[in-house]
Amino acid sequence: MAKVVIIGAGFAGHTAAMYLGDAIGREHEITVVHKFDYFGFVPSWVWLGIDAVKPEHTIFKLKPIYDKFNVNFVQGSVTAVHPDENYIVLDQANNAGPASLEYDYLIIATGAHMNYDATPGLGPKKFTQSICHYDTAIQARDAYLQSVERMKRGERQKLVIGTGHPLAACQGAAFEYITNIHHDLSERGIRDKAELVYLTNEPEIGDFGVGGINVVTKGGRIAKGGDLIEDAMDEFGIGKAVRRGVKEVDAKKVYWEDFEGNYGETDYDFAMLIPQSRGVTFKFFDKDGQDISSKVCNPGGFVFADGIYGLPYEDLVKNANAWPAQYYNPTYKNIFSAGIAFAPPGPISAPHTTRNGTVITPGAPRTGMISGVIGRVVAFNVIDMIRTGRMTHRERMSEMLAVCIASNGKSLWNGSAIVMIIYPIVPDHSRYDNKEGRDMFVTKVERGISGAWLKQMVETTFMHKFRGRIGWQFIPE
Amino acid sequence: MRPTSFDKFLMRCRIYQLWRFVVLNIKILKAVHHEKTS
Repeated sequence: MAKVVIIGAGFAGHTAAMYLGDAIGREHEITVVHKFDYFGFVPSWVWLGIDAVKPEHTIFKLKPIYDKFNVNFVQGSVTAVHPDENYIVLDQANNAGPASLEYDYLIIATGAHMNYDATPGLGPKKFTQSICHYDTAIQARDAYLQSVERMKRGERQKLVIGTGHPLAACQGAAFEYITNIHHDLSERGIRDKAELVYLTNEPEIGDFGVGGINVVTKGGRIAKGGDLIEDAMDEFGIGKAVRRGVKEVDAKKVYWEDFEGNYGETDYDFAMLIPQSRGVTFKFFDKDGQDISSKVCNPGGFVFADGIYGLPYEDLVKNANAWPAQYYNPTYKNIFSAGIAFAPPGPISAPHTTRNGTVITPGAPRTGMISGVIGRVVAFNVIDMIRTGRMTHRERMSEMLAVCIASNGKSLWNGSAIVMIIYPIVPDHSRYDNKEGRDMFVTKVERGISGAWLKQMVETTFMHKFRGRIGWQFIPE
Repeated sequence: MRPTSFDKFLMRCRIYQLWRFVVLNIKILKAVHHEKTS
């Protein structure tokens, strides 16, 4: 009987647990370790942050789901991994004190640890809000509603939404949050009292950390998908502050450096800024007790996978095969990393260094659909290893499809959304002989109420899938 | 290329948007199938 331990029950970890439990849960021991006893549907926290959805509708308890799939669940935080001896250490296991768990295969799917400390003054414990976690999204909602109350009293408010670090990722979430704020304030009849500013480290609007999304228009011309997004922002009266890496925040101002190396500041009344993300926060130790974390993870805590690391950006863009395909660690092949936890070989967007030496580059996105797909690939490879000793599944981000839906309001009647279909996420110039390195028949950006319907449908079907209800396997990640 | 006023009309036209909803679903399912089989 093989023992599989999964650390983390987000999109990647939970997906992996469901496929593993479904396939081999009866014969083998599958255990999920997660800090919380619930699964959080992260895309809905954009709506939670404006009070458009009740917090309890965005989460559900994990244990009843895992009971159905013959998966053990342990609530606790991992403090150390001992890969030579194949066990992990937990500070708490179901509130019963420290414990250790042995494994034959370990899947690290810890998601992103929000590194607020990388930017002085950033974060919900300091001056800015964050919708990246359940509790902080509730806190952001409360702060937002206070701002709304002030606007109702006739005060003007400046809301700054965007990225809070020169290397932050997840610009899509920030963009979706600000368009939802616009919609919510319009519905409340106080839009004229708010100044909205989108402050981002992207080189241009619509980059989203994937180097922008060019599309073919009806006339057969290549157009920038970013133009549609920029047009929507202009229509909504959202101010754009692009090419800016946030260096520090205080109670009233955000301090940044732009691509040209100029320093500046933006004042605010309410700010939601996405921090830099970190990978795992626990350490890896060898059999002698030596810290070998640097062998397993990059300096950001993201776990090395079967990619090619250390290539300069110019070479990386020419080599789509540098991106991991099977997500096993090259040093410890029984350790897999799924979702945000794996170390990308570099950014997708072109990196930029200012004259002062500050690197301002949006990070490669690995959330949502990408995490789910990698979770499935990893689960199938672990099943392969247990059954046949040979992995047969592979999917690089340069072969992967992503569908992103950025809503503008939750309403099915007067909401809308921008739908972005990107294939592949990482451009592959050897496969697609065009400047974009993408399949231009599949890659699309469009805006309309159909996107709002699609978003609602995705939320409903994904929650159905993640709850392991009938037919869950047929719903794509 | 910015959307024209006709494009904006289509963004608001619910009948057209219903059609786009169907098309988008098919496109996404086709793309997922293509991705899984390629």
